[in-house]
Amino acid sequence: MAHAAFTSAESDLAPVFQARALAKTYGEGDAMVRALAGLDLECRAGELVVVLGASGSGKSTLLNLLGGLDTPTSGSLFYRGWDLGGADEAGLTRYRREAVGFVFQFYNLIPSLTARENVALITEIAADPMTPEEALHMVGLGARMDHFPAQLSGGEQQRVAIARAIAKRPAVLMCDEPTGALDVNTGKAVLEAIERINRELGTLTLIITHNSVMAEMADRVLTLSDGHITGEKHNLTRAAASTLAW
Amino acid sequence: MSLLDLKLIRDLRALKSQAAAVAIVMACGLAMMIMTRSLIVSLETTRDAYYRDNHFAQIFSRLKRAPNSVSAQLAAIPGVATVQTGIALSVTLDLPGVIEPATGLIQSLPEQGELTLNRLHLRAGRILVGRESTGEILVGEAFAQANQLKPGDEIAAVLYGRRQNFRIAGIVLSPEFIFEAPPGAALPNNKTYGVFWMPYKELARASNLDGAFNQLSLQLVPGASEPAVIAAVDHILRPYGGRGAYGRTSHPSHTRLRDEINILNGLSIGFPLVFLSVAAFMTNAVMGRQITLQREQIAILKAFGFSNGEIGRHYLKFSIVIVAGGTALGVLGGVFLGERLVDMYHVFFRFPALNFQLASTVVVLAVLVSSIAAIIGVAGSVRAAVRLPPAEAMRPEPPSSYRPALVERLGFGRLFTVTFRMALRNIERRPVRASLTVGALALATGILIVPNAFRDGIGYVLDYQWDLIQRQTVMVSLIEPSPARTLADFKALPGVILAEPVRGAAVELRAGNQFRRLSITGLPAQAELFRVIDSSGRQISLPPEGIVISRKLADVLGVKIGEILFVRGLEGKRVEFSVPVAGLSEDFAGTAAYMEIGALNRHLGEGDRINAAYLTVGAGQWNEFLHAMKASPRAGSVVVKNKIRQGFRETTAQSIGLLQQIYLTFAAVVAFGIVYNSARISLSERQRELATLRVIGFTRGEVATVLVGELMMLTLIALPCGLLIGSGFARVILMTVNTEFVRLPLILTAQNYAFAVLVVAVASAISALLACRRLDQLDLVGVLKARD
Ligand SMILES: Nc1ncnc2c1ncn2[C@@H]1O[C@H](COP(=O)(O)OP(=O)(O)OP(=O)(O)O)[C@@H](O)[C@H]1O
Ligand SMILES: [Mg+2]
Repeated sequence: MAHAAFTSAESDLAPVFQARALAKTYGEGDAMVRALAGLDLECRAGELVVVLGASGSGKSTLLNLLGGLDTPTSGSLFYRGWDLGGADEAGLTRYRREAVGFVFQFYNLIPSLTARENVALITEIAADPMTPEEALHMVGLGARMDHFPAQLSGGEQQRVAIARAIAKRPAVLMCDEPTGALDVNTGKAVLEAIERINRELGTLTLIITHNSVMAEMADRVLTLSDGHITGEKHNLTRAAASTLAW
Repeated sequence: MSLLDLKLIRDLRALKSQAAAVAIVMACGLAMMIMTRSLIVSLETTRDAYYRDNHFAQIFSRLKRAPNSVSAQLAAIPGVATVQTGIALSVTLDLPGVIEPATGLIQSLPEQGELTLNRLHLRAGRILVGRESTGEILVGEAFAQANQLKPGDEIAAVLYGRRQNFRIAGIVLSPEFIFEAPPGAALPNNKTYGVFWMPYKELARASNLDGAFNQLSLQLVPGASEPAVIAAVDHILRPYGGRGAYGRTSHPSHTRLRDEINILNGLSIGFPLVFLSVAAFMTNAVMGRQITLQREQIAILKAFGFSNGEIGRHYLKFSIVIVAGGTALGVLGGVFLGERLVDMYHVFFRFPALNFQLASTVVVLAVLVSSIAAIIGVAGSVRAAVRLPPAEAMRPEPPSSYRPALVERLGFGRLFTVTFRMALRNIERRPVRASLTVGALALATGILIVPNAFRDGIGYVLDYQWDLIQRQTVMVSLIEPSPARTLADFKALPGVILAEPVRGAAVELRAGNQFRRLSITGLPAQAELFRVIDSSGRQISLPPEGIVISRKLADVLGVKIGEILFVRGLEGKRVEFSVPVAGLSEDFAGTAAYMEIGALNRHLGEGDRINAAYLTVGAGQWNEFLHAMKASPRAGSVVVKNKIRQGFRETTAQSIGLLQQIYLTFAAVVAFGIVYNSARISLSERQRELATLRVIGFTRGEVATVLVGELMMLTLIALPCGLLIGSGFARVILMTVNTEFVRLPLILTAQNYAFAVLVVAVASAISALLACRRLDQLDLVGVLKARD
């Protein structure tokens, strides 16, 4: 597991993620739940993938496996040829630290740090980060850098979270219902920020949502149900996030 | 069982280690309180019963010699109920198998029946009665035990210069010698000092006191005036060489015991209060967090119609469980420690039976005090819970607001890493909690300073007394003042390298209406073996005219250098003269007055006399010297310096060691409890934050640093505060032993500080590690699913 494997983008054509018969079960015996029932998946650099599906269909579980928060029960999962599925705790931590950016439904900012510092938290430990200021400018928050989370609106907090996720120039960006707690206009601003990152940095981006309208901004739309991929659609042209309406 | 109680049990199970930490800290406070209060009760009730049953006298006096008929005169003093006269002599003992001599006090038993006052308590063998001398003797228990003497054993005593063998008839205790040590001693030395009794006739014959007495004890009728009787006794004994009567408050054994009880009294209030306050703070922190976590549950309970009273009681029950646990543990701990300390006290204080008496009122008080502590601890949180309107409680708590910390606002922010700033701001956001945590850790550090300060103070005094002041090998005291040429006899003994004369005279020193009775010590102006030292450690050269007295004595008499003291001799020619105070000496045990030996003898008007000598003896001829000494007719007693010193060291080491263990445990428990609890609470409060850090790629170690960084900072602040507080504790406690009889200097060493810092740092580190182990159980995925 070379350090370079997490950051280099030398083979844009090779898949970033490659999953075969990926399965995740929780519990045992009668209480066993098959959250992912053996799915095959490939994702390439620069792609923007939207994952749709009913509640409980396994979206978050998939994202957690791809993001290195959890390990699969069976099947294989490779990140740029590195065995992500079989990685140990320390390997997962390094993977998250170097390759992945996360955006969550509830922002998960550190309340005791300002916007700038929340981003700096990452830039202090990353190998080749942008400055916190750059990252915050990219999400349109250049003016609110020294405010604490409690002084920011939900949408602004979410954009800080995006800035925090992308400041280390991650290879992949994982967004689990990033607009779930936001109204339409604020949600759009957040999606625009994500879209811009994907476009300008070429970051492989996965967005989980319940909102099928957002499918239009994707390169590819996956539909999950009962732990299986039951639908896959390629958009020939991506709609700009600003044009979405729901 | 109601469902709320079921919830209580489940919640407690989840909180068990934190509840245990609080209960243990509380238990420490209670144990200390129960231990000390019970010891006080044990000592006081045992002492009072012993005094009453064995008729401990109320007034005491020594004199040179009075015919037995004077006794009737004394009995006629208004207010006197009982008079007992007798003989007391100092004695040197020759123990089988022990080369160094021991000294002691030997007292007479009445010619008829048993003692009426200060009655003996028989431990083994039998009491001596009757007029006839049988060559038998009674021995005080402490000395007998230390030297492994049993009834039937023989010991040789040098009585009035004559060596005689005695068979031990019995081992006894006396209410006069609960503290069996020479007057003024702070610690006993039972191997080298003992008390003895033998029939009057034999003692009288040996000391040429037949038909006479040289000591007396009195008991008063209820309501009699002690000062009036003392004055009357002094008046009657004046012609007979009375040395001044005194009451129990000046009785060496009685005052030593009283001082001990006073120290215990201080400890029984101060330290428990500290521990219980810490426990109250910890309860408050735990419950406060619990109620924040259960906001929504409280709202739902209220929505379902539970009353405020029911909810309030529910949360109070948490603290009741903690108090119950703490009290049970505290009582057990107090009894356990109390029993061990009673054993230790047995080394110092000899009673017929000193049993640990659990003061039941103290237990009730302890339960009350800790309940109050716990209720104060939870009251605020419970009130907040009860006040919460259901609708508001249903909403999640608003995000906590922060601001840059003071140091950052001052412009130093740039210097710090982001995680360090997190810690700073967290501390600043809850200043009360942070300062209480610092306070508790500082207290833990502080209480460790005390026992070591005691040890170092005693060590200093021993070194001071025996390296700086007294440099002799032995002190030989003579039976009676003898001509100065006697010194030459001592010089001639085998092995003696240096001999210096000492002249002691019992006097009353008076300045204004303050007076004290003591012995003036006459020494050569620049003595080598007994050096009078001033407060800067330099030897004071005794002037040809004038007196040098202890600084403490100058305080007591209210005199300064240059002022005049009036001296009244209490023996011999009973001369009266006045001398200027020429210097103040620094000493720690008792009070002393010194004059140049020639000047003193001139004032006393009895010619050039000595009554003791300090000798240095070459190590090579030590045994020969001792043999010669034991046979010497003039020597009343021989005191070997190193022997005493070693005895002191052993007894101190024992008692300080036990105290140190107790304090060490308590301090470690507090440090451990506080750090563990704080870490657990911040873990609970910041779960989401910490899990987020893990998700975005922080390693476990980095997250642990964020979690305990704050506590480390607080510990760092607490340590120096603790050293200050501890030094203050030590100062206050040592002040309570700053009496005319014993003083301890405040000696604070780097080792003492280092030890305290080390113990608290290690306890904190271990508990922080334990708390950090919980980081492994952080549910990374789960924490991201919901708002907190
Ligand atoms: N820790 C867990 N223990 C047991 N079962 C779990 C656990 N986490 C998820 N599951 C189950 O796995 C299945 C998939 O859950 P997942 O969170 O991936 O759903 P989702 O598609 O993200 O749903 P939603 O849209 O509601 O977030 C669900 O049936 C869920 O109950
Ligand atoms: Mg989900």
